[in-house]
Amino acid sequence: MNQMEIAIPKTSAVMKALLKADYTTLWRNRRAVILVILVPMIIVFSWKGFVRIAGGAFVLSNAITLGLVAIGLMGYTNSIARDRDKGVFQRLRVTPLPLWAIMASRLLVQLSVIMILTLVVFISGYQFDHISMPLAGYVVTLLTSIIGGAVYLALGQAIVGRIQNAETVNSTSRLIYFAFIMVGIFGEAISVAEPEMKWLGSIVTWTPYGTVKDILAGSLELSKWTSHTTQALLLTIGYTIVFATLGIKWFKWSTK
Amino acid sequence: MDTQLTNILQVDDLNVFYDSFQAVKDVSFHVKQGEIFGLLGPNGAGKTSTLSAVEGLIKQQSGTVTVAGYDTLKHPLHAKAAMGVQLQATSFQPELNVSEILELYASLYGLDLTREKLQKLLKEINLAEAENKRFGQLSGGQQQRVSLAITTIHDPKLVLLDEPTSGLDPQSRRRLWSRIDAIREKGHGVVLTTHSMEEAEAVCDRISIIDHGRIIETDTPQALIDKHRDDLAVIAVSRRGKVTLEDVFIALTGLDIRG
Repeated sequence: MNQMEIAIPKTSAVMKALLKADYTTLWRNRRAVILVILVPMIIVFSWKGFVRIAGGAFVLSNAITLGLVAIGLMGYTNSIARDRDKGVFQRLRVTPLPLWAIMASRLLVQLSVIMILTLVVFISGYQFDHISMPLAGYVVTLLTSIIGGAVYLALGQAIVGRIQNAETVNSTSRLIYFAFIMVGIFGEAISVAEPEMKWLGSIVTWTPYGTVKDILAGSLELSKWTSHTTQALLLTIGYTIVFATLGIKWFKWSTK
Repeated sequence: MDTQLTNILQVDDLNVFYDSFQAVKDVSFHVKQGEIFGLLGPNGAGKTSTLSAVEGLIKQQSGTVTVAGYDTLKHPLHAKAAMGVQLQATSFQPELNVSEILELYASLYGLDLTREKLQKLLKEINLAEAENKRFGQLSGGQQQRVSLAITTIHDPKLVLLDEPTSGLDPQSRRRLWSRIDAIREKGHGVVLTTHSMEEAEAVCDRISIIDHGRIIETDTPQALIDKHRDDLAVIAVSRRGKVTLEDVFIALTGLDIRG
């Protein structure tokens, strides 16, 4: 059959359209975004006492990490599961756009939320706890928060890839979010407050929570960046690669 | 005229599997420019699987699908740009309103939908008042009109409609038939799946009856009736002495209720 003349849209134009739609969606869901950011703010506010014991970087890094967990597991995962369940992706897939563009747009929007979260934590830390870090620390932490956020976005991708049902995805991601809160708030806090519980801290430190928290703390105080922080960074990247590989391998665009 | 040019869709020896289950078996058919082609079959017969392979939603294990001359596996973006698709169950981002959805899909086909064009389009589909409503707030008929407007927004060479009239009232159904006729009059090809024999007879130029993943018959509705009019199985299921397309369909696919 002879080929007819068919024009396909430019990828840049397609990405622009997807981003516009995804940012509009984010704006209309701003209450959910505020709730996601609220938890780290509560941490910053309520952990005032820890600033003296463990330092400002400890408090800020924990607050950001918990926010990153919420963005990856609650925001991204559930929005993907919902749209897949409703057939939104199938509708997009029959248009002439590269498939990667659909996910790239979603991820870029989440990266923006990560940046907003990190900035809000910096500001609240300064306002509530008078935590002040070197400017370089703030700048580097904005970048490492993206690396840290990638772990939880990848983990969310793995969850939504493995589980097809949107409600099961929702409950599973909540459960894992709760587990990370437990590890983060209690594991970290107990190991700092109780010297005989230090062993708990050494377990927590190599979990995805611990590695992300450590690289964030190391970024905030670059002078305290050690070989341990470098190992945490490498492990964070490793976790991201594993979760993302599984998430891409398992992911199906439709639940049918 | 070159017949190769007139075929807007060419499906050859298509085979689709879901794990070990074969949903589509050696299916071949073509759709000409300016033709409405119906794909009829009971539930689970392979209609949607066949369409999904054409749309690029699932990958066939063997066989070729060519849209406007583009192999859907080798040139998926060109093939998709030549198609307009209305899925059986479709949805749009629930946070977006009608205007935003239309703008998004126009952009995805590389079109610049100006405010004037948008207003004109909304007027055409009788949704000028609902432009700021979210898709989920629209009635079934309104949702269907938005969906069809998006399907045809880029004036595609081939339009694929998967059970487009299910759940619509008779008025909306008649209006949709007129819109499908208008697409044909532009010289574009249309493939539709339906459970309604009345619809197939009223709208389709040719139909294929598919069952258990295989095409059993392909012809014009009237030719199929004439061909099977005297079959004992058709006479046995016919009512009031008049043989209809539905009688032929039931005789060919059986009386058993499927999934």
